[in-house]
Amino acid sequence: MAAVYRTHMSIIGDILTTTRDEAPDETGASVTYLIRKANVSHGRLAKILETLVQQGLLEQNTSERACRYKISPRGREFLQAYRGFREFADSFGLRI
Amino acid sequence: MVFVSDSLLLQIALNLLGFVVGLALGIFSYIGFKNTGSPTLFRLNISFFSIGIGFGVVGFGVMIESFVLNYSQVDSWIQTLGIGIQTVGYFFIAFSHGIKSFFPKSRYFKSIIMPLFIIPGNSLEHIIRSISFILLVYGTIETIMSYMENRKRSTIFVAAGLGLLALGEFLGWYSVVFPKSILYFVSLSTKIAGLGALFIPISQVPLRGGMKLGGSV
Repeated sequence: MAAVYRTHMSIIGDILTTTRDEAPDETGASVTYLIRKANVSHGRLAKILETLVQQGLLEQNTSERACRYKISPRGREFLQAYRGFREFADSFGLRI
Repeated sequence: MVFVSDSLLLQIALNLLGFVVGLALGIFSYIGFKNTGSPTLFRLNISFFSIGIGFGVVGFGVMIESFVLNYSQVDSWIQTLGIGIQTVGYFFIAFSHGIKSFFPKSRYFKSIIMPLFIIPGNSLEHIIRSISFILLVYGTIETIMSYMENRKRSTIFVAAGLGLLALGEFLGWYSVVFPKSILYFVSLSTKIAGLGALFIPISQVPLRGGMKLGGSV
């Protein structure tokens, strides 16, 4: 099976979806969990998470043990918009 | 009072319809780009705005020359200019497919605005139409290939839309060979029907709640 290239946008979509639907508990998902679920390297994930927190799409909970990430209400809105427009682009045979 | 023929009125009406449809698709893509920051939606936005403006240039140009300037014959450069602007739009649709298929990882290539077209002065309209036709056929084939993968009904509507736009361009080129025939209006109507088919994906996007997001990632 041919490897499918994921765009930067689709990786963000996967990260947000993971934090929304698959976070293991109320406090959110850890970096390790996100690396495994969203299938991204640590270096790349760290940069994306920083941007998403700055943009207000993710909430960062810092505890003694580790940083955990939870989707914010703004992140949920973004994810809804992203999914809608992904469908639109898919219809043109394109990827956003 | 200047006599305006029915065919001229039909030409104006169809072109203005194309202008509105193209602009509506462009605005929708722009909302998508504003919400997500996606370069693909940015290219679609440029594409549909160009197609809409291309129709608008012909529609408004013919209208102004006929009603305001009272010309008995409409200048041919208006048609050429309008079709040229539409071609830029078709180029961006084909360009997006080209990036997806051949340069999925290249960020540098994505930043290229457009290659330079070297076009001789003679037969400009023929050349522009043939470029449009090739770009649209390419876009149609790529979209059909995508349909084979995702099996989404809306994708086949888009393929049909691009195919109709290609057919419209082909008939438009033929109408240059037979200038007094009905082919021009058939060409224009086919292109409008093609643009209409591109509307199908929009109807499937839920336009509520989440579409008000301001920033992009």
